[in-house]
Amino acid sequence: MSVKIEVIAGGVPHDKIMIAGLVSTLVCIYLTYLNAFTNTEVFSFFGGLAVVAALIWGSHTIKVLCSYGIGTGVPSAGMIAFGSGVIAMLLATKFGMLAPIVAVVLAAVIGLILGYVSNNILNMKIPAMVQALTEMAVVGALTVMGFAAMITGGFTFTGLTTSTASFLGFPITSYANSFLGGGLIAVAFLLGAIAIQHPFNACLGPGWKQDRMLMLTAECGFLSMIVAAVMSFALISAGSALISLLVAIIGWAYTYSQFFEMSKRDAAAWLDSKPIPDTEGQ
Amino acid sequence: MEHIVFGIGITALTGALATVAGSAEDTESNIGSQGDPNSQVQLAPQMGFLHRIFNKAVAGEPPAYGLWCALGAGLAWAFMAMQVNAILAIVLGCILAVFVQGVYATTAYLGRTASLAKFGQPVYVDIIKSMTTVTMAHAFIAIFCTVALCQLINGALGHPFPLPLLALIWGVALGAAGSATGNPYYGKERQYQNQKFGAGVPISASGNIVRYAEAGERNSIDNGFFTHKIGGSASGVCFGLIVFLELWRTILFERIYAGWGAIAVGVLMILIFTVIDRYIEVWARKNYGPYTVAKEADA
Amino acid sequence: MSAVAAKPTAGGAVNPAAMAVGVVMLIIILGLTYTISPGMGVMALIGIVIGGVMIGFGTHFVPVGGAPAAMGQAPGIATGVAMLAAGAGLAGLFGGAWAAELGIVVAVVTGGIGGGLMMAITCMMVNFVYVFGMGIPAASGKVLHDPITGDSQAEYKSQGTEGHGLPFVSFVGGVIGGILAGAGGTLIYIELLGLYEATFPTLMSATPAQVLPVAVSVAGMFAVALFLVNAVLTAYNITGTIEGPHDPKFKRWPRAIVASAVASALCGFVAILIVAI
Repeated sequence: MSVKIEVIAGGVPHDKIMIAGLVSTLVCIYLTYLNAFTNTEVFSFFGGLAVVAALIWGSHTIKVLCSYGIGTGVPSAGMIAFGSGVIAMLLATKFGMLAPIVAVVLAAVIGLILGYVSNNILNMKIPAMVQALTEMAVVGALTVMGFAAMITGGFTFTGLTTSTASFLGFPITSYANSFLGGGLIAVAFLLGAIAIQHPFNACLGPGWKQDRMLMLTAECGFLSMIVAAVMSFALISAGSALISLLVAIIGWAYTYSQFFEMSKRDAAAWLDSKPIPDTEGQ
Repeated sequence: MEHIVFGIGITALTGALATVAGSAEDTESNIGSQGDPNSQVQLAPQMGFLHRIFNKAVAGEPPAYGLWCALGAGLAWAFMAMQVNAILAIVLGCILAVFVQGVYATTAYLGRTASLAKFGQPVYVDIIKSMTTVTMAHAFIAIFCTVALCQLINGALGHPFPLPLLALIWGVALGAAGSATGNPYYGKERQYQNQKFGAGVPISASGNIVRYAEAGERNSIDNGFFTHKIGGSASGVCFGLIVFLELWRTILFERIYAGWGAIAVGVLMILIFTVIDRYIEVWARKNYGPYTVAKEADA
Repeated sequence: MSAVAAKPTAGGAVNPAAMAVGVVMLIIILGLTYTISPGMGVMALIGIVIGGVMIGFGTHFVPVGGAPAAMGQAPGIATGVAMLAAGAGLAGLFGGAWAAELGIVVAVVTGGIGGGLMMAITCMMVNFVYVFGMGIPAASGKVLHDPITGDSQAEYKSQGTEGHGLPFVSFVGGVIGGILAGAGGTLIYIELLGLYEATFPTLMSATPAQVLPVAVSVAGMFAVALFLVNAVLTAYNITGTIEGPHDPKFKRWPRAIVASAVASALCGFVAILIVAI
């Protein structure tokens, strides 16, 4: 007796969200490249904004896919998205400046094939499957790349595998203390994988509203950005990390309060310390 | 020899930490109705049974605990990279991870309940205030113990994986063990206390969960109180055994025949657990007996 | 205002054309790998494909009942199939990674035993809670007699349910699933680690000792990622729940083998490209 998922049409169409999400994510990731031009790290917070944009797109894709009832839980969709996305993202980081574009193309190819595999070989026959898995692999790759850019200040393979710390005044290169060497990629992986599926998982039901779900996605994105900003203190300068943290906290506080407002708007009643209402019909 | 004694000590400590983590994890998820029993809390209002149970569906327990533990470990790693003392770093990392857990819990409750408006299920603000803090406290214990045991495995026993990756692995395993062992006890025994004891819940009774307590209306802290006694302890024993035996057989026997010693001990332990399981199964069949008279032709 | 548009129609049928396309894709990917990195790359890819297939096949054995199992309405373990397999497989990967320096055979077997041990303890505790906590004996809903012990099942099924707990065959299935998943995950890790350890020093112009943390971490992350992809694909194949090797859904495994092989080959190919170009 699982919960019946009902779809409510209306709201912003999915194609529009997809295009807006893709463009704004790419723009935000490229804005972190200003770090390399200006030789600072203050633009790292754009990586976090890219994460928020990608997640908004991805959570709507999950909604499109899971409305069909795929037989297993919503969270598994997030897992396959990031499982395929993280591999594409790491290969893409080898292409320097072109990395985000390569990540999109590569992840799309992987997602397309995985979609074909599930739909045809596994005989799932879900119309949205191929497109949804393609989109989610791209979202997964871009989200992890956004986190990487935010935590390390760049998205090149060298930047992700090394860090420079100064020891007694001498700069030394450390491989263990890096995004990849320290295993922070595992944290970025799960932060994204939970944040992408949570909004739909939390808002499903007959009263599903698009704006409430997307606001929750933005909230999850900013929340993940807060903790990513704290982690970035270890790898980028304190001032730059502080900027990321401030942006994240402001964004989170706004979206969280907005989500409360929207829940208040949609809820049947908003009660404090009240008993169960007597309206039940049994 | 000294090396092995040291290893055994660390193993015992990680086993103890894992037991506490498993127990706290199951209690936390039961208070929040996370995992599979959540489906009934979600279904009840649709069948006309409005309730005051906390309904925080963040994700299944394994991915959720994978995140909380990996996040605690990643933050602890970052603090340690900033030259913070390891214990302080783990505590700080876990506090931030618990903050994330708490925020996810509130949004999950609000989102799910607001989407049930059609059936008249109200949002109770006092549930958010009182239950979220209790789940956060339990989650802190679970996350702290898991991250601490990962730090011991990584730092003292020398496992090659970095701390966040280890925490991801053991977080997922913690959620898997805790949900597997603890979910039936909450889902059947507590939510359906009004159904027959010693039998599964008939499918026709789905959604008719118990909503009233000895006095007043049942809340989720009562559920944690109840399930902790068997479900929580069993989950703790389960995760504790997994971590302890996995480390114990490696530390003590890995050097014998270049690794084959640990494998042989592992096979032996699997056989022992198989025998225990079979014993439990046969014991139940003999002592509880069949529900109906055997009908061979029954399809 | 459309409701659910279509229920999943995934039946037991095999789509031969798609299977053929899958096999062709697999061969193409192997060929591509051969052109970029004959020798080491191809060997690594073959290991990854075998590992992925073991994960996909092993997940079919893991008895998972999903939400109904938590109410004693269906047999199996009350959690998600992909994540339970991941829990067991990753516990195996943990042990296997630790034993990596003892050689590939020992490491893979250690990983398998680690996963099997995790599932043995978990399945035993599940039955413990069912029997001593809730007073419910184990009963399967899909077969009349346990294929291993021959115990009759139907009369131990309480009224209005499809069975509950873990009959012995499901327990054995869980252990086999854990062993296969743990061994498969470890195999993927070992293959990638060997490749990265050999190629990262020249790629990053550093000493092998310096790049070891990066190689371990990247190989570990990829093993986890490939694990999740394969486990979720198998979960799709069995539409979320299965009782174990005696369940009729188990017969769908050929599809999952091809699917896992293609998915692992694809992801493994990309993982190899990181060091090959």
